Amino acid sequence: MNNPNPGCEEDVVIRTQIHLIRNLTDVPFCAKMSRADRQKLSERVVEAFSGNETLSHLFQFTDMESLSRVEAVSLVERHLVSADFISDRRGRGFFVNADETVSIMVNEEDHIHLQSSEAGLNPQKAFATADGLDDILDKCLGFAFDENLGYLTQNPVNLGTGMRASLMLHLPALREGGGISRISANLSKLGLALRGTFGSGVEPKGAVYQLSNRVTFGLSEQEAIANLQSIAMQLIEQERAARKELAESLEIQDTVSRSLAILQSAKMMANEEFMQLISNVRFGVATGLVDPIDYGEINRLMVLVQPATLTFYSGKKLTPAERRSLRAEKIRDFLKKGKYLWPN
Amino acid sequence: MLCDSCGKNPVTTHIKTIINGELTEYSLCAECAQRLGYGNLLTGLGCDYGSLLGGFFGGTELDDPVRCKCCGSTFDDIMRSGQVGCAQCYHTFYDRLIPLIQRIHGNTRHRGKVPGGGALQSRPQEQLSLMRRELREAIDAENFEHAASLRDRIKELEGGKVHE
Repeated sequence: MNNPNPGCEEDVVIRTQIHLIRNLTDVPFCAKMSRADRQKLSERVVEAFSGNETLSHLFQFTDMESLSRVEAVSLVERHLVSADFISDRRGRGFFVNADETVSIMVNEEDHIHLQSSEAGLNPQKAFATADGLDDILDKCLGFAFDENLGYLTQNPVNLGTGMRASLMLHLPALREGGGISRISANLSKLGLALRGTFGSGVEPKGAVYQLSNRVTFGLSEQEAIANLQSIAMQLIEQERAARKELAESLEIQDTVSRSLAILQSAKMMANEEFMQLISNVRFGVATGLVDPIDYGEINRLMVLVQPATLTFYSGKKLTPAERRSLRAEKIRDFLKKGKYLWPN
Repeated sequence: MLCDSCGKNPVTTHIKTIINGELTEYSLCAECAQRLGYGNLLTGLGCDYGSLLGGFFGGTELDDPVRCKCCGSTFDDIMRSGQVGCAQCYHTFYDRLIPLIQRIHGNTRHRGKVPGGGALQSRPQEQLSLMRRELREAIDAENFEHAASLRDRIKELEGGKVHE
């Protein structure tokens, strides 16, 4: 098995994300806020950031109302904000750091929704970042908290730690074997959720899944993370065993080789076709059927050739045909160099 | 409105997502939401706030005049929307929310991070003075049941059984 970064399990885990949900004590929760209330809160948070040397240095604020539709969708494709957040942009804004590993949504479902990401399996590091930032923001803004109930949230389901830890997993072999729905049902009993990625149609498409904790109350952040990590390790081992078996099949080897060949030579590439083919190639890299390509670079490619992000970085309006042609060009270039160099 | 996935059951959950560069919304029933990993602890209980409310009060409309001083919510508003109005609501409607929270999360208490600064509500003294004021109001309104349980909680806090 090809795994250059031991410990991060990057052959299976694409990324770790820690979310912290927080609210202020003296302002109604988001559903009760008028647009003016949202605006005021947003200004208050901006003020807190600019009044703190560390924060003002690290983060840049964007008013969601100032963005084009393409820019807003690209933020979701880049995992910086949620789809819900861009569905109504009035009075909403977000902060992001330079390498786009930490973002803070203001006025999503709760006043503050903080996200910290790390490549591969690294919940401890992602949590440490989120936790430190939470402390600084709490000093500036004062978060609503109760001894018994923990952090107070708009939806009582999120009470307690207000923390979701999620892992983005690449599970092509378990999916091929048809075991995902059984696994998902078992995980649900353990207080975890396994989500597929929607395609065109409600049933999940592709082999990328999100595993996250559902329990926020009655256990500590560290316990929730340890629980997630131990379940993830079991899933990772199951996926690897299934991959090993699959990789011996000539049909699968053929699928992987053809997928790579199409990506290397296609002149036009639709997004859904790309996601399927790159999934096959990633599987090929992990099982040694394809020469090594850096997992982090594959992950970047998977994000940066998404429709809105590709259009946004091209700096002009693209027709669907132009977009497919540009995507194919960027993929060919990536496979030649083994790196994604656009935009620099 | 029927579920986008199975086409059979009524919708309880709306999921927004980005599909090929477009913002798309799927409407799912509780069962399909659970199956696709979008269930939360409420769908896990096989119920929503409406049925939780029904479970507690026999489905009758509550006609409670008490409003939260910070956001104006009544307990009815919270039950109808499934959303708490503000941080203060948790104190105003504490006794009525606790059974609900226990139904969702089990009979437990917060075991995670305790903020180091700024969180006014976490200060036992702050909490005590808020509760004493609430107790006075409950007595004035002759809401003796609520007053009794407040008095017990104040005693517990004053007895030093406060989490460090």
